[in-house]
Amino acid sequence: MSSNCSVTTLQLDSIGQTEPATVHLLPCEIEHDGPAEVSRFFTATIKDRKHEKTVSFRGRGLKGQEVSCPQGYTGLVLSEVNKPGSDQEDRTVKVSSVFHNLTYWNLETPPNSDDGIVMAMAWPDLAEAIHGPLDD
Amino acid sequence: MDLKEFEADNSVSCRLASSVPDICKTEACCLGIDEAGRGPVLGPMVYGICFCPVSKKDDLKELKLADSKTLTEAQREELFIKLDEAKSFVGWALQVLSPNTISTSMLQRSKYNLNAISHDAAIGLVQFALDSGVHLKEVFVDTVGPAEKYQDKLSQRFPGVEVTVRPKADSLFPIVSAASICAKVARDHAVKGWNFPEQMGDVDADYGSGYPNDPKTKAWMLKYLDQVFGYPQFVRFSWSTAQTLLDSKAVAVHWDDDEEDGEKAAARQNNTSMLSFFKAGSKTSGPQGNTHQPHRFFTERRLQSLDTL
Repeated sequence: MSSNCSVTTLQLDSIGQTEPATVHLLPCEIEHDGPAEVSRFFTATIKDRKHEKTVSFRGRGLKGQEVSCPQGYTGLVLSEVNKPGSDQEDRTVKVSSVFHNLTYWNLETPPNSDDGIVMAMAWPDLAEAIHGPLDD
Repeated sequence: MDLKEFEADNSVSCRLASSVPDICKTEACCLGIDEAGRGPVLGPMVYGICFCPVSKKDDLKELKLADSKTLTEAQREELFIKLDEAKSFVGWALQVLSPNTISTSMLQRSKYNLNAISHDAAIGLVQFALDSGVHLKEVFVDTVGPAEKYQDKLSQRFPGVEVTVRPKADSLFPIVSAASICAKVARDHAVKGWNFPEQMGDVDADYGSGYPNDPKTKAWMLKYLDQVFGYPQFVRFSWSTAQTLLDSKAVAVHWDDDEEDGEKAAARQNNTSMLSFFKAGSKTSGPQGNTHQPHRFFTERRLQSLDTL
Protein backbone atom coordinates (compact mmCIF):
# COMPACT_ATOMS: atom_id res chain seq x y z
CA MET A 1 0.00 0.00 0.00
CA SER A 2 1.33 3.41 -0.88
CA SER A 3 0.33 4.87 2.50
CA ASN A 4 2.32 2.25 4.36
CA CYS A 5 6.08 2.43 3.79
CA SER A 6 7.01 0.39 6.85
CA VAL A 7 8.77 -2.94 6.53
CA THR A 8 7.40 -6.05 8.16
CA THR A 9 9.99 -8.61 9.19
CA LEU A 10 8.96 -12.18 9.76
CA GLN A 11 11.18 -14.07 12.18
CA LEU A 12 11.11 -17.55 10.73
CA ASP A 13 13.71 -18.89 13.14
CA SER A 14 11.03 -18.90 15.82
CA ILE A 15 9.34 -21.85 14.07
CA GLY A 16 11.58 -24.36 15.78
CA GLN A 17 10.44 -23.33 19.25
CA THR A 18 6.72 -23.62 18.63
CA GLU A 19 4.19 -26.26 19.53
CA PRO A 20 1.71 -27.28 16.84
CA ALA A 21 -1.56 -25.47 17.45
CA THR A 22 -5.14 -26.68 17.26
CA VAL A 23 -6.98 -24.23 15.06
CA HIS A 24 -10.73 -23.69 14.80
CA LEU A 25 -12.34 -21.45 12.21
CA LEU A 26 -15.72 -20.19 13.38
CA PRO A 27 -18.49 -18.84 11.14
CA CYS A 28 -18.76 -15.59 13.05
CA GLU A 29 -16.76 -12.54 13.92
CA ILE A 30 -15.64 -12.31 17.51
CA GLU A 31 -14.55 -8.86 18.60
CA HIS A 32 -11.65 -10.19 20.57
CA ASP A 33 -7.96 -10.53 19.83
CA GLY A 34 -6.18 -12.41 22.56
CA PRO A 35 -6.17 -15.55 24.64
CA ALA A 36 -9.43 -17.47 25.15
CA GLU A 37 -10.46 -20.50 27.20
CA VAL A 38 -10.78 -22.68 24.10
CA SER A 39 -10.06 -26.04 25.70
CA ARG A 40 -12.21 -25.37 28.72
CA PHE A 41 -15.36 -24.25 26.93
CA PHE A 42 -15.03 -25.35 23.34
CA THR A 43 -12.83 -28.39 22.79
CA ALA A 44 -14.28 -30.12 25.85
CA THR A 45 -17.80 -29.91 24.44
CA ILE A 46 -17.16 -31.05 20.86
CA LYS A 47 -19.17 -34.15 19.99
CA ASP A 48 -17.63 -36.35 17.33
CA ARG A 49 -19.94 -39.07 16.14
CA LYS A 50 -20.92 -40.64 12.85
CA HIS A 51 -18.26 -38.62 11.03
CA GLU A 52 -19.92 -35.44 12.13
CA LYS A 53 -18.49 -33.00 14.60
CA THR A 54 -20.93 -30.78 16.46
CA VAL A 55 -20.51 -28.11 19.08
CA SER A 56 -22.22 -24.92 20.05
CA PHE A 57 -20.87 -21.43 20.46
CA ARG A 58 -22.86 -18.75 22.26
CA GLY A 59 -25.91 -20.98 22.04
CA ARG A 60 -25.74 -21.52 18.29
CA GLY A 61 -25.28 -24.96 16.78
CA LEU A 62 -22.18 -25.55 14.68
CA LYS A 63 -21.19 -28.45 12.45
CA GLY A 64 -17.56 -28.94 11.63
CA GLN A 65 -14.98 -30.80 9.69
CA GLU A 66 -11.23 -31.00 9.58
CA VAL A 67 -9.31 -29.73 6.57
CA SER A 68 -5.65 -30.17 5.89
CA CYS A 69 -3.34 -27.48 4.60
CA PRO A 70 -2.44 -28.05 0.95
CA GLN A 71 0.50 -30.34 0.46
CA GLY A 72 3.78 -28.52 0.86
CA TYR A 73 2.14 -25.74 2.87
CA THR A 74 2.24 -25.03 6.57
CA GLY A 75 -0.20 -22.87 8.47
CA LEU A 76 1.37 -20.17 10.59
CA VAL A 77 -0.01 -18.27 13.52
CA LEU A 78 1.87 -15.00 13.72
CA SER A 79 2.13 -12.57 16.56
CA GLU A 80 3.60 -9.13 16.80
CA VAL A 81 6.83 -8.86 18.78
CA ASN A 82 6.39 -5.18 19.58
CA LYS A 83 3.22 -3.36 18.73
CA PRO A 84 4.32 -0.34 16.68
CA GLY A 85 3.03 3.05 17.72
CA SER A 86 2.15 4.11 14.21
CA ASP A 87 1.76 2.43 10.85
CA GLN A 88 4.95 4.15 9.64
CA GLU A 89 7.16 2.14 11.97
CA ASP A 90 8.73 -1.13 10.96
CA ARG A 91 7.12 -4.22 12.39
CA THR A 92 8.45 -7.56 13.49
CA VAL A 93 6.27 -10.63 13.72
CA LYS A 94 7.23 -14.04 14.96
CA VAL A 95 5.70 -17.44 14.42
CA SER A 96 3.81 -18.27 17.58
CA SER A 97 2.60 -21.65 16.35
CA VAL A 98 2.27 -23.80 13.26
CA PHE A 99 -0.57 -26.02 12.06
CA HIS A 100 -1.09 -28.59 9.32
CA ASN A 101 -4.81 -28.93 9.62
CA LEU A 102 -7.70 -27.01 11.12
CA THR A 103 -11.32 -27.57 11.98
CA TYR A 104 -13.74 -25.25 10.27
CA TRP A 105 -17.28 -24.84 11.52
CA ASN A 106 -20.47 -23.96 9.68
CA LEU A 107 -23.51 -22.43 11.32
CA GLU A 108 -25.97 -25.36 11.40
CA THR A 109 -25.15 -26.54 7.85
CA PRO A 110 -23.22 -29.79 7.53
CA PRO A 111 -19.79 -29.23 6.00
CA ASN A 112 -19.54 -30.06 2.32
CA SER A 113 -17.13 -29.78 -0.56
CA ASP A 114 -18.66 -26.47 -1.70
CA ASP A 115 -17.54 -24.68 1.45
CA GLY A 116 -15.19 -21.77 0.70
CA ILE A 117 -12.36 -23.05 2.84
CA VAL A 118 -12.39 -26.51 1.22
CA MET A 119 -12.40 -24.97 -2.25
CA ALA A 120 -9.68 -22.49 -1.28
CA MET A 121 -7.31 -25.35 -0.47
CA ALA A 122 -7.39 -26.33 -4.15
CA TRP A 123 -5.80 -23.04 -5.20
CA PRO A 124 -2.14 -24.07 -4.79
CA ASP A 125 -2.66 -26.99 -7.20
CA LEU A 126 -4.51 -24.78 -9.63
CA ALA A 127 -1.89 -22.05 -9.35
CA GLU A 128 0.80 -24.60 -10.06
CA ALA A 129 -1.10 -25.77 -13.15
CA ILE A 130 -1.51 -22.22 -14.43
CA HIS A 131 1.78 -20.62 -13.46
CA GLY A 132 4.18 -23.53 -13.01
CA PRO A 133 6.84 -24.29 -15.58
CA LEU A 134 5.88 -26.71 -18.30
CA ASP A 135 7.40 -30.13 -17.87
CA ASP A 136 8.30 -30.85 -21.39
CA MET B 1 -35.04 -41.88 39.09
CA ASP B 2 -32.22 -42.97 36.87
CA LEU B 3 -30.95 -40.16 34.66
CA LYS B 4 -27.75 -41.90 33.54
CA GLU B 5 -28.80 -41.96 29.93
CA PHE B 6 -29.26 -38.19 29.89
CA GLU B 7 -26.17 -37.55 31.96
CA ALA B 8 -24.06 -39.51 29.47
CA ASP B 9 -24.61 -36.63 27.03
CA ASN B 10 -26.43 -33.68 28.54
CA SER B 11 -26.00 -31.54 25.42
CA VAL B 12 -28.84 -33.28 23.58
CA SER B 13 -32.44 -34.24 24.14
CA CYS B 14 -33.12 -37.60 25.75
CA ARG B 15 -36.13 -39.86 26.31
CA LEU B 16 -36.49 -41.83 29.51
CA ALA B 17 -39.34 -44.22 30.17
CA SER B 18 -40.68 -46.80 32.57
CA SER B 19 -41.78 -50.14 31.22
CA VAL B 20 -45.36 -50.22 29.91
CA PRO B 21 -47.69 -52.16 32.26
CA ASP B 22 -49.41 -55.01 30.42
CA ILE B 23 -52.81 -53.82 31.56
CA CYS B 24 -52.25 -50.51 29.70
CA LYS B 25 -52.05 -52.42 26.41
CA THR B 26 -55.44 -54.07 26.83
CA GLU B 27 -57.53 -51.61 28.79
CA ALA B 28 -58.50 -48.11 27.69
CA CYS B 29 -56.08 -45.64 29.29
CA CYS B 30 -55.95 -42.02 30.30
CA LEU B 31 -52.73 -40.06 29.89
CA GLY B 32 -51.56 -36.81 31.47
CA ILE B 33 -48.97 -34.39 30.07
CA ASP B 34 -47.08 -31.71 31.96
CA GLU B 35 -43.76 -29.94 31.91
CA ALA B 36 -41.18 -28.76 34.40
CA GLY B 37 -38.55 -26.08 34.07
CA ARG B 38 -40.07 -23.94 31.36
CA GLY B 39 -39.11 -20.59 32.89
CA PRO B 40 -35.60 -21.05 34.30
CA VAL B 41 -32.54 -19.76 32.47
CA LEU B 42 -30.53 -22.74 33.77
CA GLY B 43 -30.84 -26.44 33.10
CA PRO B 44 -33.14 -28.64 31.06
CA MET B 45 -36.86 -28.43 30.44
CA VAL B 46 -38.55 -31.75 31.07
CA TYR B 47 -41.75 -32.96 29.45
CA GLY B 48 -43.53 -35.81 31.17
CA ILE B 49 -46.41 -38.16 30.47
CA CYS B 50 -48.02 -40.57 32.88
CA PHE B 51 -50.70 -43.11 31.97
CA CYS B 52 -52.94 -45.71 33.58
CA PRO B 53 -56.15 -47.55 32.74
CA VAL B 54 -59.28 -45.38 33.01
CA SER B 55 -60.65 -48.03 35.41
CA LYS B 56 -57.73 -47.37 37.78
CA LYS B 57 -58.30 -43.62 38.14
CA ASP B 58 -59.54 -44.13 41.71
CA ASP B 59 -56.45 -46.13 42.68
CA LEU B 60 -54.40 -43.21 41.39
CA LYS B 61 -56.44 -40.81 43.52
CA GLU B 62 -55.50 -42.82 46.58
CA LEU B 63 -51.86 -41.94 46.03
CA LYS B 64 -52.91 -38.37 46.93
CA LEU B 65 -51.04 -36.73 44.10
CA ALA B 66 -51.11 -32.98 43.81
CA ASP B 67 -49.69 -30.32 41.56
CA SER B 68 -45.91 -30.69 41.82
CA LYS B 69 -45.48 -26.97 42.37
CA THR B 70 -47.42 -27.10 45.65
CA LEU B 71 -45.21 -29.91 46.95
CA THR B 72 -41.79 -29.83 48.54
CA GLU B 73 -38.92 -31.58 46.83
CA ALA B 74 -39.02 -34.36 49.46
CA GLN B 75 -42.75 -34.86 48.95
CA ARG B 76 -42.26 -35.12 45.20
CA GLU B 77 -39.55 -37.74 45.65
CA GLU B 78 -41.85 -39.70 47.93
CA LEU B 79 -44.73 -39.55 45.45
CA PHE B 80 -42.48 -40.58 42.61
CA ILE B 81 -41.50 -43.68 44.60
CA LYS B 82 -45.20 -44.40 45.13
CA LEU B 83 -45.80 -44.07 41.39
CA ASP B 84 -42.94 -46.44 40.76
CA GLU B 85 -44.46 -48.90 43.21
CA ALA B 86 -47.71 -48.71 41.25
CA LYS B 87 -45.93 -49.85 38.11
CA SER B 88 -48.35 -52.73 37.64
CA PHE B 89 -50.82 -50.18 36.29
CA VAL B 90 -48.98 -46.83 35.98
CA GLY B 91 -46.40 -46.02 33.32
CA TRP B 92 -44.48 -42.83 32.53
CA ALA B 93 -42.13 -41.37 29.96
CA LEU B 94 -40.05 -38.21 29.86
CA GLN B 95 -38.44 -36.03 27.26
CA VAL B 96 -35.49 -34.18 28.74
CA LEU B 97 -34.70 -31.16 26.58
CA SER B 98 -31.17 -30.06 27.40
CA PRO B 99 -30.47 -26.34 27.78
CA ASN B 100 -28.15 -26.67 24.79
CA THR B 101 -31.02 -28.06 22.70
CA ILE B 102 -33.23 -25.18 23.84
CA SER B 103 -30.55 -22.55 23.03
CA THR B 104 -29.62 -23.91 19.61
CA SER B 105 -33.28 -24.48 18.63
CA MET B 106 -34.47 -21.04 19.67
CA LEU B 107 -31.42 -19.34 18.12
CA GLN B 108 -31.61 -21.39 14.92
CA ARG B 109 -31.56 -19.59 11.56
CA SER B 110 -35.18 -20.57 11.05
CA LYS B 111 -36.48 -19.77 14.51
CA TYR B 112 -38.00 -22.62 16.50
CA ASN B 113 -39.77 -21.07 19.47
CA LEU B 114 -40.39 -22.52 22.89
CA ASN B 115 -44.09 -23.13 22.28
CA ALA B 116 -43.36 -25.13 19.16
CA ILE B 117 -40.60 -27.04 20.97
CA SER B 118 -43.04 -27.78 23.81
CA HIS B 119 -45.83 -28.92 21.52
CA ASP B 120 -43.48 -31.17 19.58
CA ALA B 121 -42.16 -32.70 22.80
CA ALA B 122 -45.69 -33.41 24.01
CA ILE B 123 -46.75 -34.85 20.65
CA GLY B 124 -43.61 -36.98 20.53
CA LEU B 125 -44.36 -38.45 23.94
CA VAL B 126 -48.00 -39.28 23.12
CA GLN B 127 -46.83 -40.92 19.90
CA PHE B 128 -44.24 -42.84 21.92
CA ALA B 129 -46.99 -44.15 24.23
CA LEU B 130 -49.06 -45.22 21.21
CA ASP B 131 -46.03 -46.86 19.60
CA SER B 132 -45.34 -48.72 22.84
CA GLY B 133 -48.81 -50.24 22.62
CA VAL B 134 -50.65 -48.11 25.18
CA HIS B 135 -54.38 -48.26 24.48
CA LEU B 136 -55.07 -44.53 24.64
CA LYS B 137 -58.54 -43.14 25.15
CA GLU B 138 -58.16 -39.84 27.00
CA VAL B 139 -55.36 -37.29 27.09
CA PHE B 140 -55.21 -34.46 29.61
CA VAL B 141 -52.78 -31.62 29.11
CA ASP B 142 -51.69 -28.70 31.23
CA THR B 143 -51.05 -25.62 29.18
CA VAL B 144 -49.70 -22.15 29.25
CA GLY B 145 -51.10 -20.03 26.46
CA PRO B 146 -54.32 -20.52 24.52
CA ALA B 147 -55.82 -23.93 25.41
CA GLU B 148 -58.32 -24.19 22.58
CA LYS B 149 -55.84 -23.97 19.72
CA TYR B 150 -53.57 -26.49 21.34
CA GLN B 151 -56.49 -28.83 21.97
CA ASP B 152 -57.47 -28.63 18.28
CA LYS B 153 -53.89 -29.32 17.24
CA LEU B 154 -53.62 -32.40 19.46
CA SER B 155 -57.10 -33.71 18.55
CA GLN B 156 -56.24 -33.49 14.89
CA ARG B 157 -52.90 -35.14 15.41
CA PHE B 158 -54.39 -38.03 17.39
CA PRO B 159 -57.81 -38.87 15.96
CA GLY B 160 -59.79 -41.25 18.15
CA VAL B 161 -58.24 -39.87 21.34
CA GLU B 162 -60.25 -37.54 23.53
CA VAL B 163 -58.02 -34.54 24.26
CA THR B 164 -58.62 -32.08 27.09
CA VAL B 165 -56.28 -29.11 27.32
CA ARG B 166 -56.81 -27.05 30.44
CA PRO B 167 -54.82 -24.42 32.31
CA LYS B 168 -53.93 -25.72 35.79
CA ALA B 169 -54.73 -29.28 34.66
CA ASP B 170 -52.02 -30.46 37.06
CA SER B 171 -54.25 -29.59 40.01
CA LEU B 172 -57.47 -30.83 38.37
CA PHE B 173 -56.54 -34.29 37.06
CA PRO B 174 -54.49 -36.76 39.13
CA ILE B 175 -52.93 -38.26 36.00
CA VAL B 176 -51.57 -34.81 35.07
CA SER B 177 -50.32 -34.32 38.64
CA ALA B 178 -48.52 -37.64 38.25
CA ALA B 179 -46.93 -36.46 34.99
CA SER B 180 -45.91 -33.17 36.60
CA ILE B 181 -44.28 -35.02 39.50
CA CYS B 182 -42.26 -37.24 37.16
CA ALA B 183 -41.14 -34.23 35.13
CA LYS B 184 -40.26 -32.13 38.15
CA VAL B 185 -38.32 -34.92 39.86
CA ALA B 186 -36.28 -35.42 36.69
CA ARG B 187 -35.64 -31.70 36.37
CA ASP B 188 -34.55 -31.46 40.04
CA HIS B 189 -32.17 -34.39 39.66
CA ALA B 190 -30.75 -33.13 36.38
CA VAL B 191 -30.05 -29.67 37.78
CA LYS B 192 -28.63 -30.89 41.06
CA GLY B 193 -26.33 -33.44 39.53
CA TRP B 194 -25.40 -31.37 36.47
CA ASN B 195 -22.22 -32.70 35.05
CA PHE B 196 -20.47 -29.79 33.34
CA PRO B 197 -18.84 -31.06 30.14
CA GLU B 198 -16.74 -27.91 30.22
CA GLN B 199 -13.57 -28.16 32.24
CA MET B 200 -14.92 -25.94 34.96
CA GLY B 201 -13.19 -27.47 37.95
CA ASP B 202 -15.26 -27.31 41.10
CA VAL B 203 -18.37 -25.45 40.09
CA ASP B 204 -20.28 -23.56 42.71
CA ALA B 205 -23.58 -25.48 42.79
CA ASP B 206 -25.37 -22.68 44.57
CA TYR B 207 -27.27 -21.48 41.51
CA GLY B 208 -30.59 -21.08 43.26
CA SER B 209 -33.84 -21.96 41.51
CA GLY B 210 -32.54 -21.17 38.05
CA TYR B 211 -35.23 -18.55 37.58
CA PRO B 212 -33.90 -15.28 36.14
CA ASN B 213 -35.27 -13.23 39.04
CA ASP B 214 -33.55 -15.36 41.70
CA PRO B 215 -30.61 -13.31 43.08
CA LYS B 216 -28.55 -16.50 43.52
CA THR B 217 -29.09 -17.43 39.90
CA LYS B 218 -28.09 -13.95 38.81
CA ALA B 219 -24.96 -13.97 40.98
CA TRP B 220 -23.97 -17.37 39.59
CA MET B 221 -24.40 -16.16 36.04
CA LEU B 222 -22.15 -13.19 36.70
CA LYS B 223 -19.54 -15.36 38.35
CA TYR B 224 -19.31 -17.88 35.51
CA LEU B 225 -19.51 -15.50 32.58
CA ASP B 226 -16.64 -15.91 30.15
CA GLN B 227 -16.02 -12.92 27.94
CA VAL B 228 -15.48 -15.00 24.80
CA PHE B 229 -17.57 -18.16 25.22
CA GLY B 230 -20.27 -16.65 27.37
CA TYR B 231 -21.51 -19.54 29.44
CA PRO B 232 -21.29 -23.27 29.89
CA GLN B 233 -24.04 -25.20 28.08
CA PHE B 234 -25.98 -25.37 31.35
CA VAL B 235 -27.25 -21.85 30.58
CA ARG B 236 -30.01 -21.18 28.05
CA PHE B 237 -28.36 -18.60 25.80
CA SER B 238 -31.72 -17.80 24.22
CA TRP B 239 -33.08 -16.31 27.45
CA SER B 240 -33.08 -12.52 27.53
CA THR B 241 -31.39 -12.61 30.95
CA ALA B 242 -28.41 -14.39 29.41
CA GLN B 243 -28.41 -12.19 26.29
CA THR B 244 -28.50 -8.98 28.33
CA LEU B 245 -25.59 -10.06 30.50
CA LEU B 246 -23.57 -11.08 27.44
CA ASP B 247 -24.35 -7.82 25.66
CA SER B 248 -22.93 -5.83 28.56
CA LYS B 249 -20.11 -8.05 29.90
CA ALA B 250 -18.86 -10.21 27.04
CA VAL B 251 -17.17 -9.36 23.75
CA ALA B 252 -19.47 -8.83 20.79
CA VAL B 253 -19.98 -11.69 18.33
CA HIS B 254 -21.45 -11.14 14.87
CA TRP B 255 -23.07 -13.81 12.71
CA ASP B 256 -23.88 -13.51 9.04
CA ASP B 257 -27.60 -13.86 9.78
CA ASP B 258 -27.66 -11.15 12.44
CA GLU B 259 -30.46 -8.71 11.98
CA GLU B 260 -28.22 -5.71 11.80
CA ASP B 261 -28.43 -2.44 9.99
CA GLY B 262 -26.99 -3.08 6.53
CA GLU B 263 -24.82 0.04 6.39
CA LYS B 264 -23.44 -0.51 9.88
CA ALA B 265 -22.62 -4.13 9.14
CA ALA B 266 -20.85 -3.14 5.95
CA ALA B 267 -18.83 -0.49 7.75
CA ARG B 268 -17.81 -3.00 10.37
CA GLN B 269 -16.73 -5.49 7.75
CA ASN B 270 -14.85 -2.73 6.03
CA ASN B 271 -17.00 -3.15 2.98
CA THR B 272 -18.48 -0.38 0.99
CA SER B 273 -22.12 0.25 1.58
CA MET B 274 -24.25 0.86 -1.47
CA LEU B 275 -25.26 4.23 0.02
CA SER B 276 -21.70 5.54 0.07
CA PHE B 277 -21.76 5.71 -3.73
CA PHE B 278 -24.21 8.56 -3.46
CA LYS B 279 -22.25 10.60 -0.95
CA ALA B 280 -20.74 13.87 -2.13
CA GLY B 281 -16.98 13.75 -2.53
CA SER B 282 -16.87 10.02 -2.22
CA LYS B 283 -13.45 8.70 -3.01
CA THR B 284 -14.71 5.32 -4.04
CA SER B 285 -13.57 4.58 -7.51
CA GLY B 286 -16.34 3.67 -9.85
CA PRO B 287 -16.23 1.08 -12.59
CA GLN B 288 -13.80 3.36 -14.50
CA GLY B 289 -11.33 3.45 -11.60
CA ASN B 290 -8.24 1.37 -11.78
CA THR B 291 -8.79 -0.66 -8.62
CA HIS B 292 -8.22 -4.24 -9.55
CA GLN B 293 -11.24 -6.42 -8.90
CA PRO B 294 -10.22 -9.98 -8.11
CA HIS B 295 -11.98 -12.72 -10.02
CA ARG B 296 -15.04 -14.39 -8.53
CA PHE B 297 -12.89 -17.51 -8.06
CA PHE B 298 -10.95 -15.69 -5.35
CA THR B 299 -13.79 -13.81 -3.70
CA GLU B 300 -15.86 -17.00 -3.36
CA ARG B 301 -12.96 -18.69 -1.63
CA ARG B 302 -12.09 -15.58 0.32
CA LEU B 303 -8.59 -15.66 -1.07
CA GLN B 304 -6.70 -12.39 -1.05
CA SER B 305 -3.25 -11.30 -2.04
CA LEU B 306 -1.52 -9.82 0.94
CA ASP B 307 0.93 -6.95 0.68
CA THR B 308 0.77 -6.09 4.33
CA LEU B 309 -0.10 -7.90 7.52
